[in-house]
Amino acid sequence: MKSLTVELNGATVRYEVEPRQTLADFLREQCRLTATHIGCEHGACGACTVVVNGKATRSCLRLAIMCNGQSVETLEGFPNDKIMEVLRRHFHESHALQCGFCTPGMLIMARDILLRLAEPDAQTVRQQLSGQICRCTGYANIVDAIVSAGKALRSQRAALP
Amino acid sequence: MSVEGGGKGWIGASLLRKEDARHLYGHGMFIADVHVSGVQDVAFVRSQMAHARVVQVDKPARHAANVFVLNDIQPVKILEAGPELSAHRHSPYPALADGRVRYVGQTIAACVMPTRAQAEDLADQVHVALEELPAVVDVVAAMRPDSPRVFDEWPNNSYISTSVVEGNPELLGSAAVRVHRRLRLNRQATVSLEGRGVLAYWDHRLDELVVYLSTQGGQVKRLALSRMLGLPEHKVRVIAPDIGGGFGGKNRIMPEDIAVAAIALKVRHPVRWIEDRREHLLASPHARDHTYDLTICAERDGTLLGIEGDIYIDAGAYALWPTGAFQEASMASRNLTGPYRMRHLRLDAHTVATNKAPMGPYRGVARPGATFALERLVDEVARELGREPFDLRRQNAVTAAELPYRTAAGLKLDTGDYIAALDLAREKIDLPAIRRRQVAGEPDGRKIGVGFAFYTEQSGHGTVEFMKRKFRVIPGYESANVRMLPDGNVLIYVGVQNHGQGHETTLAQIAAHELGIDPGQISVRYGDTAIGPYGFGTFASRSIVFAGGAVGKASRALAEKIRRIGAHLLQTDVAAIRIENGMIHGPSGKIGLAEIAFAANARPDQLPTGMDPLLESVATYEPTESGGVFAYGTHAVVVAVDPDSGVTEILDYVVSEDCGTMINPMIVDGQVQGGIAQGIGTALYEEIPYDEQGQPLATTFADYMVPCAPEVPTVRIQHIVTPALTTEYGVKGLGEGGAIAPPAAIANAVADAFRDIGASFNETPLSPRRVSEAVDLARRARGGQR
Repeated sequence: MKSLTVELNGATVRYEVEPRQTLADFLREQCRLTATHIGCEHGACGACTVVVNGKATRSCLRLAIMCNGQSVETLEGFPNDKIMEVLRRHFHESHALQCGFCTPGMLIMARDILLRLAEPDAQTVRQQLSGQICRCTGYANIVDAIVSAGKALRSQRAALP
Repeated sequence: MSVEGGGKGWIGASLLRKEDARHLYGHGMFIADVHVSGVQDVAFVRSQMAHARVVQVDKPARHAANVFVLNDIQPVKILEAGPELSAHRHSPYPALADGRVRYVGQTIAACVMPTRAQAEDLADQVHVALEELPAVVDVVAAMRPDSPRVFDEWPNNSYISTSVVEGNPELLGSAAVRVHRRLRLNRQATVSLEGRGVLAYWDHRLDELVVYLSTQGGQVKRLALSRMLGLPEHKVRVIAPDIGGGFGGKNRIMPEDIAVAAIALKVRHPVRWIEDRREHLLASPHARDHTYDLTICAERDGTLLGIEGDIYIDAGAYALWPTGAFQEASMASRNLTGPYRMRHLRLDAHTVATNKAPMGPYRGVARPGATFALERLVDEVARELGREPFDLRRQNAVTAAELPYRTAAGLKLDTGDYIAALDLAREKIDLPAIRRRQVAGEPDGRKIGVGFAFYTEQSGHGTVEFMKRKFRVIPGYESANVRMLPDGNVLIYVGVQNHGQGHETTLAQIAAHELGIDPGQISVRYGDTAIGPYGFGTFASRSIVFAGGAVGKASRALAEKIRRIGAHLLQTDVAAIRIENGMIHGPSGKIGLAEIAFAANARPDQLPTGMDPLLESVATYEPTESGGVFAYGTHAVVVAVDPDSGVTEILDYVVSEDCGTMINPMIVDGQVQGGIAQGIGTALYEEIPYDEQGQPLATTFADYMVPCAPEVPTVRIQHIVTPALTTEYGVKGLGEGGAIAPPAAIANAVADAFRDIGASFNETPLSPRRVSEAVDLARRARGGQR
């Protein structure tokens, strides 16, 4: 077992972990943060996407111990995040989720897209989302939600003095 | 929660979903999120051979007690699975192998350790000696007399072979146009993003076995577990938490479910198994895998006469309880005339055992195959006759005036306007414009093609239909328990399972409509056999018809009692009472629903003399026509195909569909778009090939392609609304329809792109390799370049 210190959703936490434990398993089984879902365990579906040191990261492809001294944010860590709130509203209003299993990873990736690209168009969003699998919605409403969230954030920013 | 279409008419309102919030905040509770103290994980030792004798299983001495083989979990009874037909051969499927393994991935032993990683370590140390036997891999070769057998005692590899003879098929031999094709939908998995999973423990306080199960229908699974484990049903509680997609793949009782539940009876701690993606692709219920060897017959004027030939369903190594895979063959046969006036059929359908994972239901069950075969053949007849395929469809489709129409194979197509759906799709895709574009050619050298496919979707079928299919459990009704609490708010319990379909919203809309209250005052609950009424679960496009009907019926019974109490309290006649916006209105006064609810629950002194207290109603519901109501539609798609690389891009996708009355149009559109995405997967990407030794060649998402956002266009959905005559509110089911037609429509479009050279596209998925090879073959046959 190795000692691991991470800044997890804004709080510094310390755990003993097996060196082979993935970040996804660590978050789910040790920290009981179950918003992070596991859909393939080989980096293809994006359900386990979290934020590590500010970057969207597949938590199934990273060992927990690799995150020693780093910051990790999961969907539970964005209760009042402004971009995430706008995304949640647009996911709801656009019917961008059905079973909800891909949703946390989608939201984390969508936030990452909107941080990098101001007001992306639908085609850009589709390309940017190409590492996230949703089996229920057929993606159209997810793309709509992210595009409209981007527009809403742009107009919010424009409205600021 | 906002509403389109005003606050009063809840039927037809695109109400935003009540179930969204928990998922948007990460508060969903899926099977792997269920936390039970002391739980240990299971890793299975699985067969690495397609067909073999299990000679020996050696447990590592240090952890022998943590390794379970079949003998260690007994007694477990094997239930006979498949249709209730004596001709259907029995394929006893043990939870852990009993001396023989019949597909790669079959469970041999279960290893239980505190973590999954440790359980997998242990599984690696279990030594299994297998003696390889010849594998049965090709479904057609499997039916030859000299084929090796999957089951030694069977006379051949057919679970069951059936014939459909309708009309006068002798006429077909002399038909002016006879087009023969061999068509194939390859094997795939259902690929819910959440895999399967089960967690079980003995609850000592309640003295019952608790089984958390990622399932589409808990009540039927409890029935199976009770019989298999020899426990009375009141000692087995099945809880289905949030389900991360099902699509049919979570609607059979599987060996892992049984093994984990049986182990829970042997150990002193909870046990769970969470399927990983490799296990899902190896050993979850597989789907499609239809082979058709058919001749379609027509007159020179384009009148379609009938079809003859053989259908082979590769059903894999075992029949899954309860019903096996026979409905694939029976439904494919019966749906093979589609919407057309074809009266002659001679079909032999074989449900064949092979050394592959067992087949289960998948969204669309059989009809994606039948529609693919039929609609490809219709296009080929049109080519033969030099006709526009669309026109041939229109010429042969049943008209609105002919409905209801009994098809050659006995399906009663009920209401709608098929020609209108065809015409609407043609108009929206703009067929003439595409034909002009094809003439002009593409600057990038790609070929443009347009394809149409018509589908029907039997839904809401009940007792009579499932008796025909010889089901062991007849899902002929659904039930609802509607309970008004003392403050006037409502709890509804149903036997269907919501795994993305939005039942918490749509069923609340129905109850709100009947009770004159806001859907926000209603909670819909399901997925726990301890609290819900008996029901069969969510599959076969049945939930809105059956559960919607049951909720409506129970709510009306409740509303009637509310009126009677209201009449008593307002001292008027019950006929003069109406319920509106949470108030009970009489001729000279009104009273709040909450007051009536309080009286009914907590102040029996205020009730009419002799009236029983409580506001609670249980209703069951089956539509009056138990052969089902048929949703239908036309898919029209435009593709651009690179002839050299074989890569297909979808440029436009139009659907015109009719599912009767829509309770929530937003959810309807979501189901259509999502179903089409899965149909695109079948058409272009998804396949589990097997090599000659029966080794599966796609066991990760690196090999098994699932469509992602760039591959799935935003579908342009057009609605025609013809209310059904035999269901509550005129609804028809529509969950599966989107997945039925895409393989046919897309293959027709690709074939259309290469109609000048006559290339054949009769096998899915239309991968770049298959497409480029077909183009190359056609070019060579014409003596062209290369």
